[in-house]
Amino acid sequence: MKILKVLRSSALSIYGYFFFAFVYAPILLIVVFSFNSNPVNMMIWESFTLDWYKTIFGMTNASSESALYLDSTDQLYAAVQNSLVIALTTTLIATVFGTSIALAVARFKFKLKGFYRALMFMPMIMPDIVLGIALLIFFVSIGAQLSIYTIIIGHCTFLTSYVFIVVSARIADMDETLEEASADLGANGWTTFRRVTLPMIMPGVIGGALLSFIISMDDLVITYFIAGVDSQTLPVFIYGMLRRGIKPEINAIATIMLLFSIIIASIGLYMRSRRN
Amino acid sequence: MISSKTNVDRRRIMLLGLLVPPTLFLLVFFIVPLTIMVIYSWLEPGLYGGVVWNFYDLNYGRILGWADSRYEKFDPVYLAIFFKSVRLALTTVLICLFVCYPAAFWISKMSDTKKNLFLFLVTLPFFVSLIVRLFAWVLILRPTGFLNQALMGTGLISEPLQIIFTDTAVIIGMTYVFIPFMFLPLYASIEKLDMSLLESSSDLGATRLQTFRRVILPLTLPGIIGGSIIVFIPALGNFIVPSLLGGAKVLMIGNLIEQQFLSARNWPFGSALGMIVMAAILVLLVYYVKMMTREDRLARTPSIKEVQ
Repeated sequence: MKILKVLRSSALSIYGYFFFAFVYAPILLIVVFSFNSNPVNMMIWESFTLDWYKTIFGMTNASSESALYLDSTDQLYAAVQNSLVIALTTTLIATVFGTSIALAVARFKFKLKGFYRALMFMPMIMPDIVLGIALLIFFVSIGAQLSIYTIIIGHCTFLTSYVFIVVSARIADMDETLEEASADLGANGWTTFRRVTLPMIMPGVIGGALLSFIISMDDLVITYFIAGVDSQTLPVFIYGMLRRGIKPEINAIATIMLLFSIIIASIGLYMRSRRN
Repeated sequence: MISSKTNVDRRRIMLLGLLVPPTLFLLVFFIVPLTIMVIYSWLEPGLYGGVVWNFYDLNYGRILGWADSRYEKFDPVYLAIFFKSVRLALTTVLICLFVCYPAAFWISKMSDTKKNLFLFLVTLPFFVSLIVRLFAWVLILRPTGFLNQALMGTGLISEPLQIIFTDTAVIIGMTYVFIPFMFLPLYASIEKLDMSLLESSSDLGATRLQTFRRVILPLTLPGIIGGSIIVFIPALGNFIVPSLLGGAKVLMIGNLIEQQFLSARNWPFGSALGMIVMAAILVLLVYYVKMMTREDRLARTPSIKEVQ
């Protein structure tokens, strides 16, 4: 009986490790093969090289001269720059908007609360493509030129919801009596907000901001529809590259992106664990 | 009296300050665009892209089965693609469920430090760029990809398997991408499981299967349903996964919509297709809410509680 039990629990552990192998093997594969020098078949290991990294940083070398794979490093840099500008701006706006609505819904009495809750819930139940086409139709009908501004607006529409949800969860955990105490002690609304409410919701605000930064950097579907020719973001650029054919440089770009997102995610989760 | 009145005024001004800017923004850039899309789906497509402002129900007719042969043909292929998308999305949901359930159970039994580490490891891929994760599967599943190289290297097969550009590839890709979506809600309800209930169930003579079916499954049902919905919605409207892993051979409704907007330039028809996807999701959500409120009522009935 005991042997059976041990067997059963070790079967579960073995399954668990398989599960993580399934989740991480594809990612590790990209990292490993980004150092593979074989330009013809990326999946047959030839020898270690940093050539693909050199290519994306604009350095020429033997393999890149024999076959110039990357269309243009300038385009890549422009895409990275666009992505960063969009993600930073969007994060700023969406964080302010999302936090404002979350505070209003949680701390004030007014009639339209149900409407705001439903509004914030809508992007969650809508497939990205629906919002993407709606925004495309809208921008074209009002005659707006598709650019990084349309992308920023588009990202803000749904990222406000993400911030709202994260901040609302934080407010729900908060002790409301502290704000009352502050008011009882004679602080006015603004002082209470600045000295009591804001510091307490700050972890939620930062969490929401990090989340919206990551999602904005990564968004492909909505951006794909509302990006102009000169305003490609990094995911849209890579998507275009992939559709034209698989090239070894993509491994290197992907590895760098991987590193970047793991760093940001780790910062976020580290901050959360320190709070607890 | 006066001071409390100014206080009320002040709070009203604060409330307006908080609400007006985001409300205006979302009204103009979220509600108006969605409304325009709904209107577009009932307008006549122009000859060279664009629309003619006439009421026109044949965008839906082309999809659902009525059509005036002078203008538009009903083509069952659209419904077929829709149902195929539903099938692929449902398969993805089921596989995600089967893959995540045991893993969530495994992690829920760990010590706290280990638990946090493994939860971090499960959530991490969510932060890794979607396109990077899908690219990995392109590399794995291609005819000259990792899987075929490995299988041929070990002599299991002599010719490369054609996996990419099939339904299987699309399902694998979507499962991989949506695993974190399924895992977290499942884990939340599995973690809340009261282990003493399982013990008492077996003490009372239930077999393991009975305990699972009568105790574990009903108690984790909210997580199962929640996770399934969170996976189903983005899977149904997906077009990135089928376009990278399904190629031209596996068309989902998302690809059809993309084509209407970016190559066929029939925006009203594309909007109608988008509305069909939304309608399917709304039906599902209404059903879900109804079921949840019924569960709630049942849980509150005293007779059930006594039995428990």
